[in-house]
Amino acid sequence: MTNEAVTVGRVIGIDDATPLEFWVAVDPTQTLQLDDVVALDRVLPDGQLVQIFGLVTQVRARHEGARFQSDVFLISDGILPAEVSEAALVQPTRFEPEILLPPLPGAAVRRATDHERDVALSFDDVERRLPAGLSRSDEPVFLDLDFVDGTKGAHINISGISGVATKTSYATFLLYSMFTSGVLGAEAANTKALIFNVKGEDLLFLDHPNSAMEGDQVDRYRALGLEPAPFRDVGILAPPRKNDPNATPATGSRSIGVFPFFWTIAQFCQQGLLPFLFADSEDERQQYTIVVQSVTAQLSKLPEGGDGTVRFDGRTIRTFADLVDAIEAKLIPDDPDEAVDQRWTGRAVGAGTINAFIRRLASSRRHLEQLIRADIGNAERYALDLDAHQVTVVDIHSLHDRAKRFVVGVVLRQAFEAKEASGVARPYQFVVLDELNKYAPRDSSSPIKEILLDVAERGRSLGIILIGAQQTASEVERRVVSNCAIRVVGRLDAAEAKRDEYGFLPSVQRQRSTILKPGSMYLSQPRLPVPLLVEFPFPAWATRSAEAGLGSGATSGVRDGSGQGDDPFAGLV
Amino acid sequence: MNMTFAVETWDPAYGVSATEIELEEASNPVDVGLEVPADQWSPRSPDPRTEPPSSVLFVDGVRRVDARVWIQDVDQRSHPGVCATVAAGAVRCRPTSALLAVAQVERALYTAAPAASRIETKHGDYELRPIVLSEGTDSNQAIYLAVHNHMTAIETSLEVSAEFGEMIVFDGPLRGRESAAAVGYVKTQQVQYLPDPQQRVVLNLNVGGRTPIFLIGGRFTRWSWYMRLPGPRSHGLSGIVRIELAGLGRVEDAAGRADQITATLPRYASAPHKDARAPQNLYPIAGLERDLRHRLGDPMLLERGLRVAAAAAVRVDQKPRPSQLDMI
Repeated sequence: MTNEAVTVGRVIGIDDATPLEFWVAVDPTQTLQLDDVVALDRVLPDGQLVQIFGLVTQVRARHEGARFQSDVFLISDGILPAEVSEAALVQPTRFEPEILLPPLPGAAVRRATDHERDVALSFDDVERRLPAGLSRSDEPVFLDLDFVDGTKGAHINISGISGVATKTSYATFLLYSMFTSGVLGAEAANTKALIFNVKGEDLLFLDHPNSAMEGDQVDRYRALGLEPAPFRDVGILAPPRKNDPNATPATGSRSIGVFPFFWTIAQFCQQGLLPFLFADSEDERQQYTIVVQSVTAQLSKLPEGGDGTVRFDGRTIRTFADLVDAIEAKLIPDDPDEAVDQRWTGRAVGAGTINAFIRRLASSRRHLEQLIRADIGNAERYALDLDAHQVTVVDIHSLHDRAKRFVVGVVLRQAFEAKEASGVARPYQFVVLDELNKYAPRDSSSPIKEILLDVAERGRSLGIILIGAQQTASEVERRVVSNCAIRVVGRLDAAEAKRDEYGFLPSVQRQRSTILKPGSMYLSQPRLPVPLLVEFPFPAWATRSAEAGLGSGATSGVRDGSGQGDDPFAGLV
Repeated sequence: MNMTFAVETWDPAYGVSATEIELEEASNPVDVGLEVPADQWSPRSPDPRTEPPSSVLFVDGVRRVDARVWIQDVDQRSHPGVCATVAAGAVRCRPTSALLAVAQVERALYTAAPAASRIETKHGDYELRPIVLSEGTDSNQAIYLAVHNHMTAIETSLEVSAEFGEMIVFDGPLRGRESAAAVGYVKTQQVQYLPDPQQRVVLNLNVGGRTPIFLIGGRFTRWSWYMRLPGPRSHGLSGIVRIELAGLGRVEDAAGRADQITATLPRYASAPHKDARAPQNLYPIAGLERDLRHRLGDPMLLERGLRVAAAAAVRVDQKPRPSQLDMI
């Protein structure tokens, strides 16, 4: 208890003071602003001291003694006497000990600093503090790692509109903090992260220092106990260019240090990847699920032909086009009188359903042929290895939606099965995925959604931690979002902010969420009943080719002119 | 012929009766021929270039009866008394701010009962202010006067030091305040001081204009004049106030002060929709009164406190003696 602390105000007696919120009249010589942390004491009749800590969530000022709106002119002309009164709404964050009583009117309120601030924000009894950003008064804000790594809870969900919410920037910042703050101890070295780059090429330069970062940002990192630097061990994987026999990775602005990824025909057949081609909402409405299952089962029985090929009815299948043709021939025999092999179609499936399946399969050819192939020598080299680097970025931004779904689904399954097989939660596997609404939509089902649900519900014990992001949490499967212990909100669309999914934001914070500036997020964690506003430092790693000091012309950069103006976060997603 | 009449702009609740003081006033001698000869009276307007004072201090007091009490004598006689709260304060108006400079609240029991003592309640203590009743005086009238005098006493004793060049406006007549800076501000015109020919000049005043000054004799000698404040004009005395200055110095100096005061006050005149006594109840005074009334405290709470204190006193008085207890 710090008695010498300056009294910034007193609890108001004409508005109800409750253990959930109360108003504080601000001393005229002091100020309280939004997000300030305050503390006050109450002595119980038996002499016990209860300390109440809280967060300022609203401030107001008004004239006392004025009755009409126009009185303000009289008052400022020095004609009518009136008092200016300022008040702050405080939402308690903690009672110590936990005796839930209202503060008494007249109680002196002080600013909580140093240790008291830690107590107020429940940082004091957090053993493993994950630096999560700075408060508006530049003091560090922490997350309890127990609620991230699965000890008590897991998963992080980030909402916010594109462009200004800086969702993926914050996700990468959290990863950086995780890896370099020392909170993971010795495990940090073995902890892995898988990042899907779904939009632009923002995440392809994580291993380059950010030339646009200004000097004062260094202090912000240091205030959090971090050293600003790019990610150390990054593997960048990109799909091969279309129609390129050498499988050169298809990235625009970065050409060095990028490796292609694809699956061989043999892997496609043996691992049963076919259902991931049918992961659209369009597919959900169709009857051909049974055909997909039957064909998947039959494909897995095909013998290998070496070099990633399979033998199909005596032919060696090297390309996805060949495979599609072979399946088509199997399902629709040349001779109309010939009976269809029911092991391939499933029992009692009509010709219409088979035709629908074939049409759908054939239409995927164009988008996926560069990803499923056996025409490259030494194809095992290109198998996806999530353990090769600490951070693996899988670039899918240039792919068609169907191919994106296929890649996300297959890679997630690989990561999930690897963790499942290892049987131990540690070291952790983090997965960063934006546009969750696309992969785990609320009102349809798909194989990818099943995997994401698995990750959300069982990942906590398996050590696979999802850092998911989306524009609108209302469009994402409820179970995926509700399993996230940590909820983060950047700038929200005004209509979206009203939805129930953001019930963890009190009304003032909801309103403020629609005007959050880039780089500011609301952070809700299970330890605190009130979400905290945090600002995270400017990324120390490049988020575009210009920042990576790669220039634009030399590496054939095709960045759009998303203009880097005064706003350091402009153009980030 | 139809009767011509006008409805007073003030709220009818403020119909104030002529008090004893005012009746006494009417008999005071008045000299109207000092600034201009009596037969040359006409409305005067202060020079528009007149500089207002750097600040104006408005002083006012309020009073409220919290409870009427009966005090029992040793010989079982009951004497009337009043428990009242009185307050006085001052507002300092500068070009950009009007702030409460000082305020003082006192509670007292006013009674002529010989056995009276101070009353302590949970919410405030009432100091005893004994009244000496002279033969034939109505005790109610005496108590009323005592409360009023108490308030005036607080007004006079307010510890507020006037700043250089400051004008101090007291709500009501000056009543013997001799300071050169003091200005008496009389809102209601119950007494006609001027002879009829000069009184007609009052009725013909324009907004912002004043009558020539005149000297009122009697117990306190004062310079005085009438002026008209801005506002709707429904009858001849609409917006008319009478101003007093201590009756010191030369007539020229007093007239100069009158010009300055006449030029200063209209700025503070209130509007009818904001004040039931517009325009005479000046904004700073209205604001001050509101503030002071607020400081008087909650009347229901104080009354309850008094009732509780009275009941406790009765219990102490009627405590059964041990011998009586034995008998039960």
